[in-house]
Amino acid sequence: MQSNNHEWRNDMRRLAVVLTVFFLALALTWTPAQAEETIKVGIILPLTGGQAAFGEIEKNSFEMALEEINAAGGINGKKLEFLFEDDTGKPEVARSAAEKLINKDKVVMLGGGYGSSETFAISGVAQQNSLPFLVNTGSADKITEQNWDYVFRLNQAVSEYPTGLESFLTEVVKPQTAAILFEDSAFGSGGAKSFQETCDRMGIKVVLSEGYSKGGMDFKPLLVKVKQANPDLVYMISYVMDAALLMTQSMELRIMPKAFIGGGAGFTLPEFAKNAGKAAEMVFSATLWYQTLPYPGAMEYYEKFVKKFNKETEYHGAEAYAAAYVMADTLKRAKSLQAKDVREALAATDIKTVFGPVKFISYDKKINQNKLPTYLVQWSGGKLELVWPKEVASKPYVFPIDWEKVWK
Amino acid sequence: MKLPRWSTLIVIVLLLAFPMVVPSDYYRHIFIIALMWVVIGSAWNLLAGYTGQVSFGHAIFFGSGAYTAGLCASKLGISAWWGMLLGGPVALLVGLVIGWICFRLRGPYFALATIAIGEIFRLVATDWRSLTEGMEGILIIQTFRSKIPYYYLALFLAGASVYAIHRIMQSKWGYYFVAIREDQDAAEAMGISAFRYKSLSLMVSSFFTGLAGTLYMNYMAFIDPHVVFSLHDVSIMAILVAIIGGVGTLWGPPAGAFIMVLLQETFRSAFFGLFPPWVSESHVLVFGLLVIFVIRYMANGIVGDWPKIQRLWTRKNPMLPANDGN
Repeated sequence: MQSNNHEWRNDMRRLAVVLTVFFLALALTWTPAQAEETIKVGIILPLTGGQAAFGEIEKNSFEMALEEINAAGGINGKKLEFLFEDDTGKPEVARSAAEKLINKDKVVMLGGGYGSSETFAISGVAQQNSLPFLVNTGSADKITEQNWDYVFRLNQAVSEYPTGLESFLTEVVKPQTAAILFEDSAFGSGGAKSFQETCDRMGIKVVLSEGYSKGGMDFKPLLVKVKQANPDLVYMISYVMDAALLMTQSMELRIMPKAFIGGGAGFTLPEFAKNAGKAAEMVFSATLWYQTLPYPGAMEYYEKFVKKFNKETEYHGAEAYAAAYVMADTLKRAKSLQAKDVREALAATDIKTVFGPVKFISYDKKINQNKLPTYLVQWSGGKLELVWPKEVASKPYVFPIDWEKVWK
Repeated sequence: MKLPRWSTLIVIVLLLAFPMVVPSDYYRHIFIIALMWVVIGSAWNLLAGYTGQVSFGHAIFFGSGAYTAGLCASKLGISAWWGMLLGGPVALLVGLVIGWICFRLRGPYFALATIAIGEIFRLVATDWRSLTEGMEGILIIQTFRSKIPYYYLALFLAGASVYAIHRIMQSKWGYYFVAIREDQDAAEAMGISAFRYKSLSLMVSSFFTGLAGTLYMNYMAFIDPHVVFSLHDVSIMAILVAIIGGVGTLWGPPAGAFIMVLLQETFRSAFFGLFPPWVSESHVLVFGLLVIFVIRYMANGIVGDWPKIQRLWTRKNPMLPANDGN
């Protein structure tokens, strides 16, 4: 015991030295920013954890927009500053982050909000503290259905994701039966519910609707059921790894519906095509945005992002980029930086962004909600192409699809 | 290990005064979360630390409590505060049934069974949409705008659970629990019904964990199955809180709860902005290293190994025999 104790003490001493040096080095590399007067806005995103890939795209887009805004003179001469906080994909951490930004950093408004659960947590704090919060991704319908007058949403609600493909289904695919596969999250089950309603309205019979736990390793038991049901259409709501695996295994099982359609999220990310390879070919997906859409700056944003980060961007990035400009516009117009005035200015927003025109309206049960159409994209030759509506398509759609040839 | 009475008093006075002295809602929020973890960690410790039945499924009871409160609001249309009365008993009943089934198993099998049941609860809550709203979750509106009522409620629950466990461990039950932990066969030979006392320990533990769940529902105002039935964020966190603080000690889990919650937040916010932002980007890594460090060098937790830490600072003669009080 004695020698052990001695060793233990030596170990502890060494460790203490290492730790001290480490923290000193940290402190030295850090020079606090000059006490320049800036306008602070808090942005809460998942920067670690399972959703970090989306958080990264959004953070990069926010920062890119911030540079441009400040280079163009900032907010009426003052510099805009974004304070990023990591919600780690947990609602109570999202709440901590929101409380910190409001109480400690004294931000004038909040942005971000990725996962629906975390967005709820942030919304609650924002509403109680009467501080405006602009949601740019969290898509559960309920978020803007609470009569929370300080919560605004830039992006479409999840129930609206399939609206853009309705006309495509009636005019082109004309399916009789459909199968719906969805991850068991608020986003997944909400999207499945609204697609079910779409099918009911259009007289499409849903032969299978099943949820799965995200991050699955093997979807074959689920896909065998799909094969047996033999639907005309397979609609899937999944994040990126699940999406890639679902398509790879569908190819292996030779499931050949008239069309595979993804409900946004994972199906539009470049990682989907990278992981699924040729199984990604000809897959359709609903999307909220595409770079060739006739919105001012959309293509420029896309090209600049690719050049700067050497990576493609998609609708999540565009949402973040647009949100930054909406906030800058709001703060420029606000009578003062008091929450009440900022809220008033945000409510009166009417600008064109890369993500589309932004104007907050009330409809159905929602308030402070921006209303935008949704679109359909298709993977073709390893590239994502906008195919519907026809007037804005970047490439004509490929249909019907000869799966034998595509998967050869 | 027993702390002298005056230091307990100082801690109580400091905690009572905290929200009055510190006006920031941000720090109050962190303390509310920490106090909630005091309840869960202490409850886990009663079952695992004192009775020797390691559970990997405390999310079952946390989620049962939270959903009881949530369903009061969403299905019965009454205030989620009624859940504070109902949530504890409901979790206790769940614990009773689980104990009745699982305490036929010993050692690692009990731990494995709790993982499985935890996952079953999560999946049922996810798929039983007509009852639980599935992953869309249950959303209520917080009753109080101020954090102070929530703070004192959390403090009361934390105090009540620590005190109750303290009293239990001084009673006959406590000795039976420890006897079962040390040697179940010997305890049974002495006439202690291991099944009954393991079940009692589990019931008390699930009761307090369920109460913490109802507090979470009322305070956070939003739950979904992945949040409250999470293996990683609830069940494992409960274990970490107790291990870091000290398994089988009264003050270990409370200390562990504050250390875990405060450290996590400190790293996440890059030492409240004192350090460059990349520190916060690597917070998960740093935090993991810290946990490894504590487990490697302080196997009995911070409270359990307090004498070791004291010796380190006071530089007493290291050749003196260790008085770890095993």
